[in-house]
Amino acid sequence: MPLGGVLFITIFVIIFGCFLLFVASKLGKRSYDPVKQQTYECGIPAQEKKDTKISVKFYLTAILFIVFDIEIIFMYPWATTFRDFISSGQGLFVLISMMAFILVFIFGLFWEVKSKALDWE
Amino acid sequence: MSPDVFLFWFLAILTVISGLMVVLMTNPVFSALSLAMTMVLIGALFVTLNATFLAGVQLIVYAGAVMVLFVMVLMLFDLKNEIYAFTRGKISGAFKVGSVGILAGLVIGSIGLTASTLLQSSTAPLVSMSGDTTKDLGKILFSQYLLGFEALGALLLIVAVGAVALARSKGGTHAK
Amino acid sequence: MGNDIFEITVNCVKLIIVFLLMVQAVPVLVWLERRGSAFIQNRFGPNRVGPLGLLQLLADAVKFLFKEEFIPEHGIRFLYYGAPVMALVPATLAFAAIPLGYPLQWDSYIFRIQGFEVNVGIVYVLGASSLAVYSILMAGFGSGNKYSLMGALRATAQVVSYELALGLAIVGAILLYGTFNLTEMVAAQQGSLQFAFMGHAVNLSWLPNWGIFYQPLGAVIFFAATFAESNRLPFDLAEGEAELVAGFHTEYGGFKMLLFFIGEYGHMMVGSALMIVFYLGGYGIPGVTIPELQQWAAGVTSSANAASALVSLITFVSFTVKLAVFMWIFIQVRWTLPRFRYDQLMELGWKTMLPWALGNTILTAIVLYIAKA
Repeated sequence: MPLGGVLFITIFVIIFGCFLLFVASKLGKRSYDPVKQQTYECGIPAQEKKDTKISVKFYLTAILFIVFDIEIIFMYPWATTFRDFISSGQGLFVLISMMAFILVFIFGLFWEVKSKALDWE
Repeated sequence: MSPDVFLFWFLAILTVISGLMVVLMTNPVFSALSLAMTMVLIGALFVTLNATFLAGVQLIVYAGAVMVLFVMVLMLFDLKNEIYAFTRGKISGAFKVGSVGILAGLVIGSIGLTASTLLQSSTAPLVSMSGDTTKDLGKILFSQYLLGFEALGALLLIVAVGAVALARSKGGTHAK
Repeated sequence: MGNDIFEITVNCVKLIIVFLLMVQAVPVLVWLERRGSAFIQNRFGPNRVGPLGLLQLLADAVKFLFKEEFIPEHGIRFLYYGAPVMALVPATLAFAAIPLGYPLQWDSYIFRIQGFEVNVGIVYVLGASSLAVYSILMAGFGSGNKYSLMGALRATAQVVSYELALGLAIVGAILLYGTFNLTEMVAAQQGSLQFAFMGHAVNLSWLPNWGIFYQPLGAVIFFAATFAESNRLPFDLAEGEAELVAGFHTEYGGFKMLLFFIGEYGHMMVGSALMIVFYLGGYGIPGVTIPELQQWAAGVTSSANAASALVSLITFVSFTVKLAVFMWIFIQVRWTLPRFRYDQLMELGWKTMLPWALGNTILTAIVLYIAKA
């Protein structure tokens, strides 16, 4: 893998972006006004406390995402080698063992749906 | 210094710096972002070992999923009071010094115990670096480690069920 | 990177060109989007500045550059300025790994028409584009505004949910090609549609050997998921104006806003390019194989270098045409479909697309096994 190229383009893009922002900040006019600096709010004065109560659903979605993401990642090595396994005669064995894994996956997904963990009211 | 060696040291130093940032930043959101940066750099270090699939997995799972959860959760909660409680006061200070001491002891102890092994250069033949490590991984996964692979599926199921159970338990912010 | 100074220099310049290709496509796409939406809605759109309003792009860029700079008072400086810059990185990294044309053979050097060749292409592209979430989260938190934060959280939950469907839809394609390498995938899709099924050779010479004919369901799921990944309508809940002002970029303006735009269009381009590579034959041309093209090019040009360059150019144009079609579909869909509700969006991702993608994977595996038996 071309690590050098990845590093090169990453650094280049970051410098490019910073440079553009710098130029834009130098060219634009600046005038200070306390009202202008305020965060956006629909016509009423912004409140000091910016964080509001946020649904635990977001957290749940993220954690379920991790679990399913790992399961999907484990399908990738299987997917690349499945054809090799078929041609070496082990196809059925690998297919069945993967189906067992996918069955657990389906069971998990089914359970999440049934338990209404994925419902957004 | 060959380019590969330079690349390794560059990445290694960056990794250590971003790892230190995790500990030294006072704002937990910055700590979490530094940890995400560390994960990405560890992924890059995997590439120097020719473990490209593992590097991709490191990016997708750790940087793209686990750390997103961390950052998201840190943004969800107002941690100002907790930070204040943790950064001020003698008891927490003593805790911090104590934990740093224990960590340093662990690191020095483990280095001391394994120094003889670490300094010994391996005589085992190098694994061919040109081969497709991903296919090898798939083949090993479905022959040698099949049981572990199936058990992992069950483990992930338990994690998912547990997370849902925790999120819906009474006494939380969203108790029914 | 290369073996000598010449090769390294060319490769570095190539990377920058790929990045600039992505960046310069954005104003063109913005123009196309404005003119296209006007066309769809039976009005004119920007048509005053230059021919067909094309110079509007330049005027916009100058306006962006001279916009006033400000930071909201509760904002966190580093995150607020870091987010737009970070928005560029994942899209560029992902786009650089996609093969845009047939490799160019120049004397003893082989230059690939792509930023860099990655052995585990798919995993790398997915990994790089999964980092896009950080830009959104940084913008949402760094602005110090509750609308930004809410928008960022919604966008994150959405992107993350559809990443599952996206990742799972690809498994079918990986099964089909048996590789992660994008170049090998493109090579596997050349020629006319032919495969062996249960000992019978099937040959449909009037169809190209494209993945979409083997993986129609996977292609549909993948394409729908790319809309959600790039936060486009009908999945642009993150910036639902009626509820969240403008989502995570509420507090942004001027050039910072433009950088977010480049990131968003970059993700659209990455999604479309992946769609082309997986399902629509990559840079190949239907009906013409690469050797035929090389033979023809050798006939019309004088040197081997020029012939190779011509082949690369033609395949690159072929890829660009396919990409343009997809970008137009993105625009057409945006101005055709209404926006989803958030619960509908999550329901679609988790309860519809994920099971269907799973079914597609199982079906593909079983059919592959039966076909070989």
